[in-house]
Amino acid sequence: MKQFASVFTCAGALALSVALVGCSTVQPWQKGNLAKSEMSFDHDPLQTRFEEHTYFSKEGASGGMSVGGGGCGCN
Amino acid sequence: MIGRNVLVALFASALAVSMTSVAAQEVGSKAPAFDLPTATKPVRLADLKGQVVYIDFWASWCAPCKQSFPFMSEMQAKYGPRGFTVIGVNVDQKREDADKFLATTPAKFTIGFDTTSKVAEAYQPKGMPTSFLIGADGKVRAMHVGFKDSNREEIEREIQAALSAARK
Amino acid sequence: MKTGSILAAAMALPGMLPSAHAQVTVPNATLIQFKYLYYRDYQDSGNRITVKSPALYLLAPISESWVFEIGAVYDNITGASPYYHTVLSGASGEGVEDKRAAGDITVTKYFGRTAISARAAYSTEDDYKSVAGGLTLRHATPSQNTTFTLGAGYSSDKISPADGPVFTRTKTTVDGIVGITQVLSKNDTAQVNLYYAQQRGYLTDPYKALFGVDQRPDKRDQMAALIRWNHYFEGLKASLRTSYRFYHDDWEINAHTGTIEWAQELPYGFTLTPSVRYTSQSAAFFYYDPVYDAALGPPFPPGYLNNPNGFYTSDQRLSAFGGITPGIKVAKSFVGGWSIDAKAEYYEQRADWRVGGEGSPGLQDFKAQLYQVGVSKKF
Repeated sequence: MKQFASVFTCAGALALSVALVGCSTVQPWQKGNLAKSEMSFDHDPLQTRFEEHTYFSKEGASGGMSVGGGGCGCN
Repeated sequence: MIGRNVLVALFASALAVSMTSVAAQEVGSKAPAFDLPTATKPVRLADLKGQVVYIDFWASWCAPCKQSFPFMSEMQAKYGPRGFTVIGVNVDQKREDADKFLATTPAKFTIGFDTTSKVAEAYQPKGMPTSFLIGADGKVRAMHVGFKDSNREEIEREIQAALSAARK
Repeated sequence: MKTGSILAAAMALPGMLPSAHAQVTVPNATLIQFKYLYYRDYQDSGNRITVKSPALYLLAPISESWVFEIGAVYDNITGASPYYHTVLSGASGEGVEDKRAAGDITVTKYFGRTAISARAAYSTEDDYKSVAGGLTLRHATPSQNTTFTLGAGYSSDKISPADGPVFTRTKTTVDGIVGITQVLSKNDTAQVNLYYAQQRGYLTDPYKALFGVDQRPDKRDQMAALIRWNHYFEGLKASLRTSYRFYHDDWEINAHTGTIEWAQELPYGFTLTPSVRYTSQSAAFFYYDPVYDAALGPPFPPGYLNNPNGFYTSDQRLSAFGGITPGIKVAKSFVGGWSIDAKAEYYEQRADWRVGGEGSPGLQDFKAQLYQVGVSKKF
């Protein structure tokens, strides 16, 4: 449990610094490059599903991107 | 314990700062002047004195912009003769990106190219697209952020009201 | 007989994804995507599992504030995974076949800069059924440069192995996610997510339990912290996508996973994306090396009789190893919203690729090839 708490605090501080750095506001008309699908975090939904499913089935670690995924008898 | 309080305070202030919005050109204020290159000769707000002007900030990468173009072409055709001008202000940094968009989505109204974003910075549109309706008196009468089909009726009514006000 | 081919391990399927972009704006285009995966894993002494999966995805705005998404996948699985450690069954794995069908629906309502999504998912195969649901809330600041995400999910699984003693056991998972997506510059966007999950119930692999020694705790608490960063190089016309995830659970598995992708825009609508993924994980505390009890012989761990009700697993997936996945993807987009893509990846796990080099000894290297081809249309 202690390890959970310390990792959460670290990640929280990281999130904080990301938010603070981002305080220089980017204007709506400047977001042309950000609008590109390759700059999105999920530009290929089916590819993400296939790859996440593969790693879930073949490794001991998982998670971090989504919630409410069901289980499967995948070996 | 202190560390956590500091963290909370920092997080709260980061939240507050990130929430400050930049004010767009307010309704009722005087519309900033502009001088933009077009496909032919430059377009200036000063030259359009006495007209009702509809300025729409758009970009090749803005999805709802595709939907708004046919509507704006329609408004230009319908109300142009009564002293109404639509100007699509393009904010692409590269002219070729805008040209590619216009090749598939033609515009039957004037397009100004604001590649250096000077006009965008003056008007501060809150999103893409954003339109400003400027009355014949040079004041901003209405502003719309984003474009949905359900906005059409309201925008057309605003144009009609602006034209009636201009005649007085 | 499904000799260890399908197993009811606590494997999570991809669920609801938090914000893809920092923006919370209603999509106004319909997207249909079809993709086909050919997957094959193997080791030096023989083939293991082959999977062929067609999948479909649809995103459709129904009105100006409602969006509807559907996903469906059908897995055709043949072959067999190891009985225990990396010992394959005598049969070459032919004739062993299984199918899994899964579908999910997500409905999202937008209120200005806030979006609420509800998702329901169902997965069914011969020996495993799963029902899952999730709720996600996203909220963007007025500048649309910061988006906060909160999500919670639940799934209830029923495991009824087709081999060995007949039983039906259940497993439930509750998970939650909190995240921030932040626009950092006109060429940078980053995301930080914290994830937590609790699994309760039958977490053992019934096929490995049948042919090997596999007894796992009936609870598992997991957490992950993920940071992702996308940077656009204007001069080069390329996007650099990087991510790092730290994972920890109370089975004492710690894992570090990093990915790097370079999406290069090329003339004529082509995009070439080489990628590499590296992962390193520790073993579960109850994983035992392929050293067997002197009296009982394999698959029994040493001293098994002194503690027959203890926790044990020989599952390679819970061992300590490092894994590398290089990949390459080519995509071409056409006028009119059509695009096609193809991706090839090679994935290998090795004990001595673990950070620090101390992976679990005595296992054959796991190897896999993944091929995907897809087509999509945006209306």
